[in-house]
Amino acid sequence: MSRSQPPLLPEVRALLDHEREIQPLPATVRARALARAHAAVVAGGRAAAPTPAPRTRWAAAAVFCLLSVAVGASAYQIRAHLATPPSQPPTPTPVPPPPSVRSAPIAQVVPEAPGPAPTPPALSRADAARAELRLLRQARAAVAREDYAAALRPIAEHTRQFKDGRLTEEREALRVKALAGLGRGEDARRAASAFRARFPRSVLLPAVNQMSPSGR
Amino acid sequence: MPASNDLCDKTGPPGTIYNRVVVSHLRLVSPPAPRLNADDACLDAFQKELDYVYRTLRRLGTAPSEVDDLAQEVFLALRRCWADYDSSRPLRPFLFGISFRIASAYERKRRREVAFGVVEVGDAGPGPDDALQSKQARALVLAALDRIPLPRRAVLVMHDIDDVPVSEVASILDIPLFTVYSRLRKARRELESAIRRFLKEADSR
Repeated sequence: MSRSQPPLLPEVRALLDHEREIQPLPATVRARALARAHAAVVAGGRAAAPTPAPRTRWAAAAVFCLLSVAVGASAYQIRAHLATPPSQPPTPTPVPPPPSVRSAPIAQVVPEAPGPAPTPPALSRADAARAELRLLRQARAAVAREDYAAALRPIAEHTRQFKDGRLTEEREALRVKALAGLGRGEDARRAASAFRARFPRSVLLPAVNQMSPSGR
Repeated sequence: MPASNDLCDKTGPPGTIYNRVVVSHLRLVSPPAPRLNADDACLDAFQKELDYVYRTLRRLGTAPSEVDDLAQEVFLALRRCWADYDSSRPLRPFLFGISFRIASAYERKRRREVAFGVVEVGDAGPGPDDALQSKQARALVLAALDRIPLPRRAVLVMHDIDDVPVSEVASILDIPLFTVYSRLRKARRELESAIRRFLKEADSR
């Protein structure tokens, strides 16, 4: 086939030229996307290190299949093990408690929750997105330096100000990470369990499962 | 080719077992290592090209309601593949390759779930005349692109909108040069035909 291409019609060319210019995203969309990316970095740990030795596609695929089978078998064994708990008493379903209930583990995330905090003034959508992003950035920075206790403060503040905010999913993933980092395994499992129930299709779910694998 | 490249080439649809296994697998086999600044570089690149990623996903047929999630998928895949990116080369074609694979997986899923999809042209809205015309023009292009099968659409978007040379299109999409030319020729015909049809319908209303 000849490589010469018939030219586009001028009006179609003009439309494509117009389409070439990319409009900036709304601030709220941008803030949300970046917060999710930041949260994914924190929640997912480090990026996978590249394998130094080159290998063929088939060899890599074969290795991957073998490892996948191994991972699957391990997961099956873990599930099978979990499916038969030794005479465990029935535990009440963990319900996300109000922040003031001190006995609930997840509520302990809010160590110095102010009592009758005044309702924050209504923010515009862009301001709210910025405020959400700022809080989660603080949490992410604290998690990155492994100061998990410090991470829980902005997480609690975000929960107070934006209970069902746009970045709730990322906040809850960070919460699991922080609780797991503090060694509060049971709290982390509860938070992970609540996360799974609330965001069953989340792209952060693999990372959350990794942080707290035996949550169910 | 590094194993991570293979994984980059096979990005599954969001939330699939495949993806979970890949992610879990990576984490299980990754040895503990000191924190790299690759994450920061990757985040920085993603931030700079966020507008491009969103628009590319829309051009590749992603519904507005799904763009957020797929952009996140692009970021996760970019992060996995970051070591394979040659920073001396432009980032956009690399991002396009990732976006294309993710959009393809999304389209396969959508095709399974919705037998007869409806073309969404939701970009037009009220506004000053110029802005309205601009929005309508963009909506028209998206709607026309949506009529072109994804493999051909990707070639046309890369070459005719993003100005990527055909040789690089072939490399990024991993197809022969001959195929790029033939897809481009056919995609252009389809685009012109769709735009003519849309304009005729608009005139007749």
